[in-house]
Amino acid sequence: MSRATQTALVRDDRTTYEAAAGAAVGLSGVAFVVGLAALVGAVEIGDPVAGVELSVALGAVLLALGLAVVGFGVASRLGFVDAAPQPSAGVVAAVAFTAIWFAAGVTAAGAAGIGTVGRLGVGTVLGGGAFAVTALPREDVGSTVPAGAVAVLCGLALVTGVVGPGWERALAGYNATLFGDTVVPAVVLFASLATGWSAAKAYGGFGARGRNVGAYVLIYLVVGSILAVLVGLVAFVTAKGLPGLLNGVGVGGETLVRWPFLTNGAGLLADVAGVFPALVGTVWLVIGAVLFAVPTGVGAAVFLSEYAEQGRFTGAVEVATNGLWSTPSIVFGLFGAAFLIPRFGNQKSLIAGMLTLGFMLLPLVLITSREAILAVPDEYRDASAALGVSKWQTIRSVVLPAAIPGVTTGVILGVGRIAGETAPILLTMGGGVLPAKSAAPNVLSGFRLSASPPFVSNPALLEATSALPYQLYALITAGLSGNIRNPQEYAWGLALTLLLVVLAFYAVGIATRYYFRRKLHQ
Amino acid sequence: MSLTTSRTDWRAGIERRLTRTREFVDDADPEALAVVIASMGSLLTAFVGFLLASPWTAVPLGAFLIATGYGWVRHQALVARAVTFAMTTVTLVTLGLIVVFIFAESIPAFRYEAASVFGVSVPGLGMFAQTRWDAVSDPVRYSLLPMIHGTVMVTAIATLVAGPLGVAAALFIAEIAPPRVRELVKPGIEILAGIPSIVYGFIGFTVINPWASDAFALNGGSTYLFVGMVVGLMALPTVVSVAEDALTSVPDVMKNGSLALGATDWQSMTSITLPAAFSGVSAAVLLGVGRAIGETMAATVMLAGIPRISDPLVNVFYGYETLTSLIARGYGSANGVHESALFAAGVVLFVTVLCLSLGSQYIEARMRRRLGGAE
Amino acid sequence: MSQTENADAEDATDATAVTANRTDGRRASTTAGETVEETRPEWTSYEASGETKVAVEDLDVHYGDDHALKGVSMDIPEESVTALIGPSGCGKSTYLRCLNRMNDRIRAASVDGTVELDGEDVYQDGVDLVELRKRVGMVFQSPNPFPKSIRENVSYGPRKHGDIETGLLARLTGRAEPEREARLVERSLERAALWEEVNDRLDDNALGLSGGQQQRLCIARCLAVDPEVILMDEPASALDPIATAKIEDLIEDLAQDYTVVVVTHSMQQAARVSDQTAVFLTGGELVEYDDTEKIFENPESQRVEDYVSGKFG
Repeated sequence: MSRATQTALVRDDRTTYEAAAGAAVGLSGVAFVVGLAALVGAVEIGDPVAGVELSVALGAVLLALGLAVVGFGVASRLGFVDAAPQPSAGVVAAVAFTAIWFAAGVTAAGAAGIGTVGRLGVGTVLGGGAFAVTALPREDVGSTVPAGAVAVLCGLALVTGVVGPGWERALAGYNATLFGDTVVPAVVLFASLATGWSAAKAYGGFGARGRNVGAYVLIYLVVGSILAVLVGLVAFVTAKGLPGLLNGVGVGGETLVRWPFLTNGAGLLADVAGVFPALVGTVWLVIGAVLFAVPTGVGAAVFLSEYAEQGRFTGAVEVATNGLWSTPSIVFGLFGAAFLIPRFGNQKSLIAGMLTLGFMLLPLVLITSREAILAVPDEYRDASAALGVSKWQTIRSVVLPAAIPGVTTGVILGVGRIAGETAPILLTMGGGVLPAKSAAPNVLSGFRLSASPPFVSNPALLEATSALPYQLYALITAGLSGNIRNPQEYAWGLALTLLLVVLAFYAVGIATRYYFRRKLHQ
Repeated sequence: MSLTTSRTDWRAGIERRLTRTREFVDDADPEALAVVIASMGSLLTAFVGFLLASPWTAVPLGAFLIATGYGWVRHQALVARAVTFAMTTVTLVTLGLIVVFIFAESIPAFRYEAASVFGVSVPGLGMFAQTRWDAVSDPVRYSLLPMIHGTVMVTAIATLVAGPLGVAAALFIAEIAPPRVRELVKPGIEILAGIPSIVYGFIGFTVINPWASDAFALNGGSTYLFVGMVVGLMALPTVVSVAEDALTSVPDVMKNGSLALGATDWQSMTSITLPAAFSGVSAAVLLGVGRAIGETMAATVMLAGIPRISDPLVNVFYGYETLTSLIARGYGSANGVHESALFAAGVVLFVTVLCLSLGSQYIEARMRRRLGGAE
Repeated sequence: MSQTENADAEDATDATAVTANRTDGRRASTTAGETVEETRPEWTSYEASGETKVAVEDLDVHYGDDHALKGVSMDIPEESVTALIGPSGCGKSTYLRCLNRMNDRIRAASVDGTVELDGEDVYQDGVDLVELRKRVGMVFQSPNPFPKSIRENVSYGPRKHGDIETGLLARLTGRAEPEREARLVERSLERAALWEEVNDRLDDNALGLSGGQQQRLCIARCLAVDPEVILMDEPASALDPIATAKIEDLIEDLAQDYTVVVVTHSMQQAARVSDQTAVFLTGGELVEYDDTEKIFENPESQRVEDYVSGKFG
């Protein structure tokens, strides 16, 4: 096993090359963000930038990026820089660029008015060419030239105004038309992704490290986009909903705090239409579901992990639990409608909604409780058993207290999930679109005793009741109109209230988890 | 892992349990046994009473509460064991009841849509053999094909969104992110799971649909394209959390072995971690698909609500109806065979998603076995 | 202090009198609780014969607040076996993981000092970890083959470094070199003394091998990359005596071509396979570094003597 040549740990100086590639990655990122802004309408592609239209400017940027990327590859291929390219760009890149160039060929040929066969022919030729250019030469050429050429093509189309503001093309048979306003940003997004990835590979000097950098750039972009969507969603709903939610809020007067949106019902007579009945409905719904599902779920988890031996019975329960967990909520709604409604007075009712959501909550509670109980170390049980404590005493005084953090977290997150469910209560609980304050369920004082079966009754539980998610749905189907002053503002306020209620559960659940985890580690 | 075998498993389990209880009898206090029997017997009676919709259900229920309360004070250990066992059966019973009730309700529709093949009448075949759904004008037909087509369109687009993005995000959380960033991103994605579907639907209805209508000059703003993207976003957290669990369960020593050979992080991920966690990751995607199929509210408020198949088939710029939105929109105003047909849609949904769930559980169990053997 | 110095002086004058040493040792360890023996630079300033492969200067490692390695300096000579011994938690594994920068994986770890491989600092800016780990291979405590076939395990490294091309694309473009891969696999397995046992089942999953075979496969996997230095972190601790003996033979054999650094907690193993031995004691200190023979028969430090004779640790 003779050793070939000894390679240096540190590569030759590539500072300039790296800086240029880094700048190209950054510029691609900027182009991506501008493209996104143009897609959502934050900027117009016809806006003037440095004397030209934005679309032309973006085209110039893409052109420059594409040429730069090709340049990186060629510089590495000709040995001007010390990179470590592999013999080929790999099968994934080859397939991807084949697909891209095939699509580009078909589109371009279609735009030039060539028939179907001709289109496919052009696509095949371009796709085959892209495959050859990607797969056959060394990696530094294979992963830059096809990507750079894509960007150059897109850039040319934008710079020359072939595609730009005012451009439109009807999609025959698809009942849709493409406009420059959407196509230009899409082209920019796509091309900047290609150049960004390729420049990132050049930055890493191709080879294993280059691929690492390229992949990381894409993954960071994905995660960044997901978080941006999340923040954007919450911020958007908050911005739209705050006026409605805070309408008429004040301090002092008859009560300490006035918050009419949360304490009023809907109706023309109210100064500010509010969501009080639906809010109370949601609260009772959650209470009912928790009362049913939490003891049942925790009890079942205790039995499964402490009493039952691992076998067919526990296996069957596990499969059933996971099956219930993934059962669509609308199926739970159908089940509630078919099973519960006939047994509770043949109409949509609060208690039917409670139990339906309870059935949905049950698997969530069971799964998390079981995990929490199984996570309690066996030493605790052994230590307790060694002291002669009975099994049940051990469970009650050792296992359950140790499992409480996990169970609590699971229950809170599960409740957050069901509090926002609409489909099941749509079929089982119903309620009005704009209920007046008097429609709020009064469960506590509703219990009646009677001499005939079923001896105990509570009309509040047996009435159709509104809840926040259902009311939002009902408002949407009513076309966002109704007997109130500003239905739009009301609906957004309602959406924000619902979002805040659910996110509060999540925030508390996640905070609880962190609190207990930190306490554990101390 | 079919339902019938889990039934027999359950029965066998109970039998084993019964023999054990019998051994128990000799040691146990006769009074405690009596209490437990009274409590469990009254619970069973109450359940039967409830099934029969009897107004007298309250009586055995009260008896159960009294017997259990008394037993809790006097013979806690035994009663606790019996009660937790009863609670355990609730999941099985619930699943069983769901099956029985939605199947029972859908029978009239299946009968109505019977079609004959080679002279043999096959109930329900008509639902999949023609494309007309019209509950009002003659001929009244309940084909589920248009809705199945819509569900497939939405699910396919949603999977294209949630699959790659979800796996990338899971890789990020499990392998790439520095601890501080992970502590931020993980709860962030959990919160994404918490945003109620009706809020997504509301945004879709008030913002996305008008925008799409404008941007693509559509007739109305309903498109499978954007419903699919919204549903994909909703299925994303499921994919991320399950895939992340699978990725973190790959032993660290394997990754270290790869890194020590000079492979980069990315090479170690794609060549070692992802293949080792492949079954878990595909289970995650399957569960995500299940979520997307079952997603109701966003589809209901964003789609047009016309049971029709788009032309051409893959036209994503139409948005007609999915199985879920059909039920949500139609239930309440429907009756008779029409209502039963909605239950039939529910059966199709339930069976599909249950199969996906069973499939992903099987894959995950296989992965656990394999990795377990590796250690 | 004076007492311990006395004891050392006695050791030096009366090296062969084992019994006397033992009594002195006992005396020294009872006093060790009050006055800790000082380490002296001359105990670790061992100059090995042969070229220096890895030079370590003033290496300090912290894991958060924990000072895991304190100012360690030791040079590792080329084409020999260097054993690192010491009680658990003494920093010997930490030291080993600094040589190929596997400590970078632990985010709380901070490393100060220099580690030079053939005169190049491996902790300087811009070091290519791929290149470093190609030259400094590592074998882990418990066998960790990849859940792939035996062949794929061996060719994993060369494939990842682009030295061997396999797969669809390479076959399509005619660049696949199955014969070269087969030669490499055979040579590496032969070198790791595994070829005879597995040559008829190269495509079986590596997880089906026995523990000892798995560990030799991991060594073969490491050899396939053609490293210059091989780090072994207690390579036989999870194996039975027969498999351990095979690994030990292999280590001695490998030293003809490679620079081998072995962490072990087995004194017999260190004495058997190594040319020079470094003793780390609790607190992350390198106490003594010398010819293996010298360490086991006549160490300078009283604590090292106590440790190798099994009195503490």
